[in-house]
Amino acid sequence: MRRLRALEPLAWVGPAVLLIALVVIWPVIEMVRSSFLEISRVGVVRGYNGFDNYDKLFAEKDFADIMARSVIWVVAVVALTVLISLALAQLFNQRFPGRKLARWALIAPWAASVLMTAIVFRWMLDPEVGVINQIRLKLGLIDALGGADADQLGVAATAMPWLVFVAVFVSVPFTTYALLAGLATIPSDVYEAAKMDGASRLRTYWSITLPLLRPALTVAALINVMNVFNSFPIIWAMTHGQPGYSTATSTIFMFILKSSDIGESAAMSVVNFGMVLVITAVFLKISRWNRAVA
Amino acid sequence: MNMKLVGGAALGLATMLVLSSCGSSTPETGGGDTAAGGGQVTLKMVAADYGDGPGKPNSGQKFWEGVVKEFEAANPTIKVDVQVINWNDIDKQVATMIQNGQVPDILQTGDYSGFVADQLLYKVDEVLSPEVSGDMLQKFADYGKVDGTAYGIPFVSSARALFYNKELFSKAGIAEPPKTWDELKAAAKKLKDSGVSQPFGLPLGQEEAQAESFLWMLGNGGGYKDAGGKWAINSPQNVETFTYLKGMVAEGLTTPNPGTKDRKTVWEDFGAGKVGMVNGGPMSIPIFDAAGLKDYGVAPIPGKAGPLDTTLGVMDWIMAFNKNGHAAEIKKFFDFFYTGTAAQKISDTYKLLPVTNGGIEKLSGDEKLKPFLDGLPNASFYPFQDPKWADLNPAIKQTIGGAVTEDPAKVLGDLQKTAEAS
Repeated sequence: MRRLRALEPLAWVGPAVLLIALVVIWPVIEMVRSSFLEISRVGVVRGYNGFDNYDKLFAEKDFADIMARSVIWVVAVVALTVLISLALAQLFNQRFPGRKLARWALIAPWAASVLMTAIVFRWMLDPEVGVINQIRLKLGLIDALGGADADQLGVAATAMPWLVFVAVFVSVPFTTYALLAGLATIPSDVYEAAKMDGASRLRTYWSITLPLLRPALTVAALINVMNVFNSFPIIWAMTHGQPGYSTATSTIFMFILKSSDIGESAAMSVVNFGMVLVITAVFLKISRWNRAVA
Repeated sequence: MNMKLVGGAALGLATMLVLSSCGSSTPETGGGDTAAGGGQVTLKMVAADYGDGPGKPNSGQKFWEGVVKEFEAANPTIKVDVQVINWNDIDKQVATMIQNGQVPDILQTGDYSGFVADQLLYKVDEVLSPEVSGDMLQKFADYGKVDGTAYGIPFVSSARALFYNKELFSKAGIAEPPKTWDELKAAAKKLKDSGVSQPFGLPLGQEEAQAESFLWMLGNGGGYKDAGGKWAINSPQNVETFTYLKGMVAEGLTTPNPGTKDRKTVWEDFGAGKVGMVNGGPMSIPIFDAAGLKDYGVAPIPGKAGPLDTTLGVMDWIMAFNKNGHAAEIKKFFDFFYTGTAAQKISDTYKLLPVTNGGIEKLSGDEKLKPFLDGLPNASFYPFQDPKWADLNPAIKQTIGGAVTEDPAKVLGDLQKTAEAS
C-alpha cells in the first residue's frame, strides 16, 4: 500500500510527461532522423544516406552568409525590443490620464496576426501606391513613385532595417507586458528606502529597478530570442528572402530548401535547433538566471 | 418506477436507431451492386486552386464541388473527396502526404515527372480511355511521357504574349508594339519620358522568375538547355540576354529591383495603368479586367532581331496514384471530366487553354484568346522532364533576378553549377 502511495505522483505527472514526449520529443527525434534520410522531392523515403544532407547544406554557397545574418537578425531585434520595452514599461507603470487606453492600444500589434501585420507593411511600402512612399514623396524625400528610390524592400540594405522594424513592432507588446508584470512585483518600500537615502532617479533605476526586474527581463528576452530566431512570416511575406538570399535567415532558407530537397531541409532544421540551444545556453550563462539577486 | 414511461422511451430510441440506419444505408443500396462490387469507393483527390482563393466565387473548391456533384449523380457508387490547395503550398503538402503514407488517388498540379521515378503513378492507358487520349494535342501528350511511357495527362495549358497599354502608348507617341529589343528599348524610353514609372514590367521575383527569364532567353535563341539537351544556362546567348536586361534596369526602364517582384504584383500594376508593357498570358486577363484596364493590346513577344516564333507554353497535369488500386474508378472520373462539360468549364472560368483538339476548336472564336491559341502548337516548354529541373527551379526562382543587377555571367554560372551538380 505504501509502495503504491509512492507511485502516486507519477499518476499526476504522467499525462504531462506523456504529452511532452508526444508533442516535443517525438518531433525532435523525427526531425533528426529525417536529416539522415534521402527523401525524394515528392516525399518518398529512399533510405539512410549518412551525412550527405549535411555535406550538401554546408556546401551551399550562401550558407555562411545566411547563418551570420540569422545571428545579427536575432541580436538586433531582441536588443531593440528589450530597450524599447524597458522604456515603455516604465512609462506605463506611471499613473497618467488615459493610461488604460494606452495600455490597450499597445496590445493591438500583439493581437493582430503577425502575417497580417507583415503584409500590411509590405503594402505600405509598395513603390507605386504605398502610403509610406506617398508621405516620402510629399516630404520631398523621393522624386517619384514607382522607381528604384521608392522601392525600399527591393534592396537588402534598406529592406533589412524594415524587417527588423516590423519584428520589433510585433515583439514589443508581449515584452512590455512581461516587464510591466515584473515592475509590479517590486515592493514600494525599497523605493522609499532609496528615497530616504537620497539616491538619484538614475541610481535608483540602475541599482534597484533593473536588478529586481532581472527575472522578468531574462524570461522576456529568452522567449524573444527563440521566437525571433524561428520567425518566418515577417520575412517571407515582405521579401521572400530576396533579392537572392540576401534577406533570408536560416528559417527562411529551411523553407526554400524544402521545395527542392526535404532531407537537406531537415538538416537545416537540426542546425537551426542546435543554434537555438547554443544561443539559449550562452544567454542563460551570461544572465546567470538562476542565481538569487544579491 | 413508471414502467410505461421507460418502455415508451425505449421504443422511441429504437425507432430513432432504425430510422437513422435507414438514412445512412440509402445511398449504398442505390448503387445496385453493393454486395458484389465491394460497395462504395471514395476517391481522394487533391487539386490546385486556379481561382482567387477560398470563399471567392471562382474558388477551386466550388468548381470541383460542382464537377463532383455531377459525376456522383452519374456514378452513385463512387464518391470523390476533393481537397483544393493553393499553388504556393500544393507541392509541399503533397510531399508531406506521400511521406506519411496518405497518398491521394488523383492529383492535379503543375508537374508529374517527380512521381514517376518512385513508381507511384498509373500509366495513362490504365486510367484513360483511348478515345480521350486520342483527342489530346499530340505534342502535349508527348510531354507526359517518361522514357516512352505516358504517366501525365495534360490538364490545361497556357501560352504567353506581350500585353501593352494602348493609352500609354499613344500618349508617348508610339505607333505600334515593339518587335525587336532595340524597338523595345526605344519604346520604353518614350514611355519613361511621358511619365510612366515602369515602362516594362519585369517580374523576376520568386513567384515565376523561371517563366519571365525563359521568355527573354528564347528571344536570343537561348534557353535552359541547348539543342543537344545539355544544360546551357550560362550560354553566351543567355549572358547577352541578361546583359541587355541589366542595361534596361540600370536606366530605370523596368520594374525596380526585378529580382524581388512577383508577377501578380506587376500584373496588378499593369492593370492599374502604371506599367507600359508586360509579358502575360490568358490568366492575366481577369486580373487586368478586375483592375479596370480595358484599352490594351496583345502582340507577339519581341526578340533580339524580331518577334518570337515560339512562346513559353505551360502545361498543368492530372495524374493517378496506384497505391489504393482504384484504377477503374479513376478511369470513370477522368473520362467524365474530359468528355463532359467540365474541361470546357475550366477554360471558361479561368481563361486557361484547353489541351484537346476538340477544346481548342470550341474556343477559336474568342478574340482575346486567339493570339495564345495560335502560339500553342509551336510552344517551348521548361525542361521539366529532367529530374534535375526540380532541384534547379527553386534556385532559379530565388536567384536569377540577381543577373539583372549583378554580374550576369556569374549568377547564371552559379545556376549552371547547380544544374550540373550530381
